[in-house]
Amino acid sequence: MFRRLQTKLTVLYAGLFALALSLVAVSVYLTIANNAQQQVRRELTATGTVFDSVWALRTQRLRDGADLLARDFGFRAAVATRDAPTVESAVTNLRQRMGLDLAFLVGVDGDVVGVDPAKVDIDKLWSALDHEERAQGVFIVDGAPYQLISAPVMSPNLTGWIVFGARLDDREMTALERLSAIRLDAQVFDRRGETWVTTDKTADTGALGAVVATAMRQATAEPARLRTATGDSLVLVKRLMTLDGQTPAALVLRYPMALALAPYQPLMAAVIIAGLIGAALVVAASWALSRDIARPITALEAAARRLRHGEAAHVDVRSSDEIGRLSDSFNLMAAEIREREVRITELALRDAETGLPNHLAMEREIEARMARLAPGQQVVVAALGLDRFTVLRSAIGYALFTQLVREIGARIQVLDPEAVVGRLTTSTLCVISRLTALTDEVVPVVERALVDLAAPVRLGNELVDVHMSNGLAAAEAGSLDAPRLIEQAMIALDQARACGRKVAIFDPVAYGDPAGNLSLMSEMLQGVATGALFLHHQPKLDLRTGAITGVEALVRWNHPARGLLRPDLFVGMAEETGHIRALTDCVIDRAILDQRALRDLGHDLTISINISGRLIDDAEFADRAIEKIAASGARFCFEITETAVIGNPDVALGVLAKLNAAGIPVSIDDYGSGLSSLAYLKQINADELKIDKAFVLSLENDAKDALLVKSTIDLAHSLGLKVTAEGVESREALAMLQMMGCDLAQGYHIAKPMALEALVAFLGEQRLAETSAPAKARRRAR
Amino acid sequence: MKIAPILFAVAMLAGSAQAADLTVAVRGPDGKPIPDAVVTVYPNGQPTKGPIKFDWPYRVAQQNIQFTPFVLIVPAGAEVSFPNLDKVRHHVYSFSAGNKFELKLYGHEESRKVRLPAVGVAAIGCNIHDQMVGFIKVVDTAYAAKSDANGVAVIHDLPDGPVVAKVWHPYLRAPKNEKTLAVAAVRGAARETATIELRPGGR
Repeated sequence: MFRRLQTKLTVLYAGLFALALSLVAVSVYLTIANNAQQQVRRELTATGTVFDSVWALRTQRLRDGADLLARDFGFRAAVATRDAPTVESAVTNLRQRMGLDLAFLVGVDGDVVGVDPAKVDIDKLWSALDHEERAQGVFIVDGAPYQLISAPVMSPNLTGWIVFGARLDDREMTALERLSAIRLDAQVFDRRGETWVTTDKTADTGALGAVVATAMRQATAEPARLRTATGDSLVLVKRLMTLDGQTPAALVLRYPMALALAPYQPLMAAVIIAGLIGAALVVAASWALSRDIARPITALEAAARRLRHGEAAHVDVRSSDEIGRLSDSFNLMAAEIREREVRITELALRDAETGLPNHLAMEREIEARMARLAPGQQVVVAALGLDRFTVLRSAIGYALFTQLVREIGARIQVLDPEAVVGRLTTSTLCVISRLTALTDEVVPVVERALVDLAAPVRLGNELVDVHMSNGLAAAEAGSLDAPRLIEQAMIALDQARACGRKVAIFDPVAYGDPAGNLSLMSEMLQGVATGALFLHHQPKLDLRTGAITGVEALVRWNHPARGLLRPDLFVGMAEETGHIRALTDCVIDRAILDQRALRDLGHDLTISINISGRLIDDAEFADRAIEKIAASGARFCFEITETAVIGNPDVALGVLAKLNAAGIPVSIDDYGSGLSSLAYLKQINADELKIDKAFVLSLENDAKDALLVKSTIDLAHSLGLKVTAEGVESREALAMLQMMGCDLAQGYHIAKPMALEALVAFLGEQRLAETSAPAKARRRAR
Repeated sequence: MKIAPILFAVAMLAGSAQAADLTVAVRGPDGKPIPDAVVTVYPNGQPTKGPIKFDWPYRVAQQNIQFTPFVLIVPAGAEVSFPNLDKVRHHVYSFSAGNKFELKLYGHEESRKVRLPAVGVAAIGCNIHDQMVGFIKVVDTAYAAKSDANGVAVIHDLPDGPVVAKVWHPYLRAPKNEKTLAVAAVRGAARETATIELRPGGR
């Protein structure tokens, strides 16, 4: 009903008070009205009694006068002798002396002296007088009621009646009213026929007449209540004795209740005014009180809402009651919640080990900066990776490694105090620099900074060398979200490492569109079906015969939208997404076709096919490939990396044995780049060993590498393996390999990977050269 | 008006002069005897010619502050004495027409005499004592009598013939306090009953 506690309380209190007040006022009014009525009743009754006395007194006075006159000898003589003038003068004299309204003589014979016979109903008067000795009562003379008293004139027998009259007029009534303690209204009613009339007419005479009629009929002596438009009044009807007993008359005493209540009006007004003042005070007080109660509650409610929205919520209530304690508890709770929240936020945004901002914190920082960027500006993010961290961590232990990361973070901070440094992964730090644009000029700057950063770090008593690579990425506001920007920096770091550089800017082309990875795969599968995937072949030169005896098949994809795609853009993805089997199947199918085409042209070449490590332990794949190759009569060599076997050695070695049994030679690719080489050499039943180009590229300049290559070739030969050297890019390297007894060479110095047509042309040239000296052949191959 | 045929009848019967008593019993409507009623008879409806003499004293004494007798019958012109037998003084008066008199204060054992010339009633009172009321019926016929305590009035020696008989009482409820009796003629002794109504309270 009421949404506010304060209103509710105020209305409740004020309502209760008003109710109580109304009850008091009503009971006071009722008591007063009752008292007033009682008082008026008593007063009316008393006045009635007084009136009786007054009436009796006056009657007595009149009677005394009449008696006196009636016994006056002279008067009697005058009456008896019918001396009318004397009688009239005597009557007039006495009337004036006694202040009477009326005085006259009625003879026994009906003669009237002293009043106009026309004004009096003589017959009625005579019979009334005759009927009762000393008759008295109300009688109508000239239309007005008079109180008449009579006295017989005896001389000595009855000769007539002397009659005195007092008019019951307003003056008389006023005199009577004055006798009363209360201001009542006295009237005389007499009956004319069936109605009761009075000379003193007012608006409610009719209603009053009805009351009189009722009272006279019932002969009640109690005051009656009269309700009229002019207000309530109490009416006492006193029966008046009439002269003839035929025309009843009544004295009506009337008292308006309003007059009775008038003395109490100040009291009532005082009660009402006191009540209103009290009500106002109660409203004000309860408003104030409820405000005192409601305000802290309102404040608490508002604070709770703020707390819910994660804002600061403090309630300032200084009272020692429950609400005060509640507020204190609330404040305490709010503070604790805030504290906990801060701690949680801190935990959520801090790297627990180093105390540096974590991935999430960096994202937030990037978002914050993006929000502040001016148009055209960029947020530049660097991913700083510790190279070979696993080795490093194993070497120095986790604790020191963490310390190392912290130290490098501190160094970055020293170099660029405005930069924000956070930890992305165990070995990767993230730096959000103050730069607002990323250009190629930045790279040398960063490279120089890296040199400073890479100074040996003293951890405890040891100096630790650190090597770091750096990936840079930048984005304008709205172009990238923070996680993607960090991701790009990380990718750039990978790209830097991949190409052996210290610093690299994110290369979107090299990376491709990661968002399209899945669609790329479905497109790849389409390409498999439509022939958009095809093979390039890199010839392998037999160093003993100087002839091209084989090629390594390398898959290429002519993407309908992106053009020619290098295998590193989709092969790794195919491995990750499980599409490598379909891809490899496609490559095998292509190679079968290409080999057949070459054979048809008279070139019988072994085609080496790279088999992903993911497929080595796939027995089903191996079975099908073997079946396919057997059916087509193709001559293939499967190149696998030494690390491929590590995943599931038992299955992998079984597969390799199967391949061997099917007469498919296996070549160990990228030999020397992995670990545990020798152990696996022993286990893997291979036919060929391909020395990693890392060794071959520096063959001419590095004596150690030359030694390694030489000993590897010897090792392989002693194990019965042919040796192919990859990455042969110079004539010198080729010569050295030839001298070292290497069997086969592959590289740009001999031939780049090329399409089938180019290969056919190349092979045609090569065949012509075979007829001449090997030296000549070597020259042409360059 | 009703008198005329009665007078005519009385005139028709005149001449036969047999004498007899007429006894009239005066009763109230309740049958109780009424004393002090005066019965007057007019043979042939005529007043008596010549002097009239009744056999009772023409005297109204004042005794015990009362007039005694209460009612006295006298012939017109008779002299009535008013002896005062009380120890107090009295002031006897009459305002009656024709018989007006006033006997101013007179004491014990004193007596006054008043001649009452007019036929009618002399209502007498005492100006000192209101309760003293008496009546003197002044008649012009010899045939008049007052009813005794038994309400009986006897008129002696009434000649036969038509008569006009009346009864009078000071309080008789009728004009002039008089009522004519129903008897129209007398032949020998006769008894009549007169029923009259008196005003209450003796007014």
